[in-house]
Amino acid sequence: MLPPAPSFRDPAGCCLVFNQRVLRFVTVEAVPELEKFLQTDCARRFIAGKRFISTRRLADVETARLRAAPELLPAFNAQPGGAVFEHERVSFPGYPHEWPPEMLWAAGQLTLELARAALAEGFGLKDATPRNILFRGSEPVFVDALSLEHRHPADPIWKAHAQFVRTFLLPLLAHRRWGLPLADIFTVRRDGIEPEEVYRFCSLWEKLMPRMLALVSIPTWLSRIASPDNQKVYQPRVLANADKAQFILKSLFKRLERTLNWLEPVAQKRSGWSDYMDTHSYDDPAFAAKEEFVREALNEFRPARVLDVGANTGHFSVLAAQAGAEVVAVDSDAACAGAIWRRAREKRLNILPLVVDLARPSPALGWHNGECPSFLNRATGAFDGVLMLALIHHLLVTERIPLEEILRLAYEVTNLLLVIEFIEPRDKMFQRLTRGRESLHAPLNAAAFERACAAHFEIVRSLALPGTERRMYCLRRKGGVN
Amino acid sequence: MIIVAYIDPGMGALIWQTITAAFVGLIFYLKKTRRWIVNGFRKMFQRGQKAATLTANKTPAAEVEAKTEVR
Repeated sequence: MLPPAPSFRDPAGCCLVFNQRVLRFVTVEAVPELEKFLQTDCARRFIAGKRFISTRRLADVETARLRAAPELLPAFNAQPGGAVFEHERVSFPGYPHEWPPEMLWAAGQLTLELARAALAEGFGLKDATPRNILFRGSEPVFVDALSLEHRHPADPIWKAHAQFVRTFLLPLLAHRRWGLPLADIFTVRRDGIEPEEVYRFCSLWEKLMPRMLALVSIPTWLSRIASPDNQKVYQPRVLANADKAQFILKSLFKRLERTLNWLEPVAQKRSGWSDYMDTHSYDDPAFAAKEEFVREALNEFRPARVLDVGANTGHFSVLAAQAGAEVVAVDSDAACAGAIWRRAREKRLNILPLVVDLARPSPALGWHNGECPSFLNRATGAFDGVLMLALIHHLLVTERIPLEEILRLAYEVTNLLLVIEFIEPRDKMFQRLTRGRESLHAPLNAAAFERACAAHFEIVRSLALPGTERRMYCLRRKGGVN
Repeated sequence: MIIVAYIDPGMGALIWQTITAAFVGLIFYLKKTRRWIVNGFRKMFQRGQKAATLTANKTPAAEVEAKTEVR
């Protein structure tokens, strides 16, 4: 049975993934509107620029074939007489709770740009949430085609404004001002943070700052004064003058854009791991040997999709992307993931950075745990190559994860290649982490590591890094593709 | 067809958006009035300039005509 549709709140339709195809079931009432939008210049421009997901209506023959699949019956029954559209598939979906702030900011920019461009064609966004956006590498792409609706030309109100503030502006503000990680916000809150919640964090001075007044304080005061039973507030408003309504909306988008620019994340100079590349324990020949080893493995196996675990600032992710792979780079440090995003965007590399801690990977979220699949669910069998460089001592010592478990996870994720760095317990960094618990790792050595690897992988080659207690391994997965 | 938004429009934020919309609506009329006045002046100025140009263009012809008559 299929998991519940990952998108079902919109009464205009639902979206689900079936046999690696992304299908959107649209109600009979919403079909003309979606088709009309897809024919606009705005849609064509955004699709050509790869900023809107390419979408096509399935022909009747194709739809009839899908009707035969019993798993799709509930979706067909929910939209009787409707149509099925197919979207291009984004190969690895990353969700807002896994994004560094830089990616949330870029997603906010795309949302506003689309809202402004669609307005000129008589369309508007009926919702404005980061869940409408996925990333292809470092570039955001708007995927919720049903978010666009025809607007009354004289309506001066953008109903999605509050959601844009809750899910883009306030999380960026909370991260910037109080260092609140986005994962902490989006893992437990589907719809972002309310101004009232942010208001409680603010000092008196902050509450009175001009930007905070508009974003946080005034909406909070107004919601306290207004009666919660007053339904008049929500009544649609239509002005006598359509030009005036357009002027008001354009001005609103301009103000939101200014606020978003004010909240643009700045590159963090230092975080727990962001300066690792300058302070790591290798000398130049050892690092050059490591780099050459990884490059050679990538050239030999030519993996199409690579997962770089513990990617740090993305040195080896860049290497993999330059070798032609589509890379997902994960690190538990948001500053590192943000640095990778900047680097990938600047060099136009196909790298998707995500804030994921492999010891506590993102769980499945949402209704029935079906709206955002867990990280491991998405990663299993999704990669041809996995890089685990300067990582296993953190998993072994800090997280106390058995070596066999680490290798089993790598085996589940990769279809072909694993490049892993083994770190002897004598290593300086390893010892720094053990903090007097050396005896726990006394039996660990290269021979024991190789024995553990043999359960799932065959060793293609290995190399001792000169002047270090580390050894690189190039491993081939046993037993074929996942 | 207009589908009613299914998301929470937020009460405080929606009232604040309505208040700012009213304020921006005033700016719209102020801008419109300013444009109307500026255009009015521009038209007047252009009309004056056109008349002056016409006079300037007509003068040599009139002079030629006058001279011809004298001959």
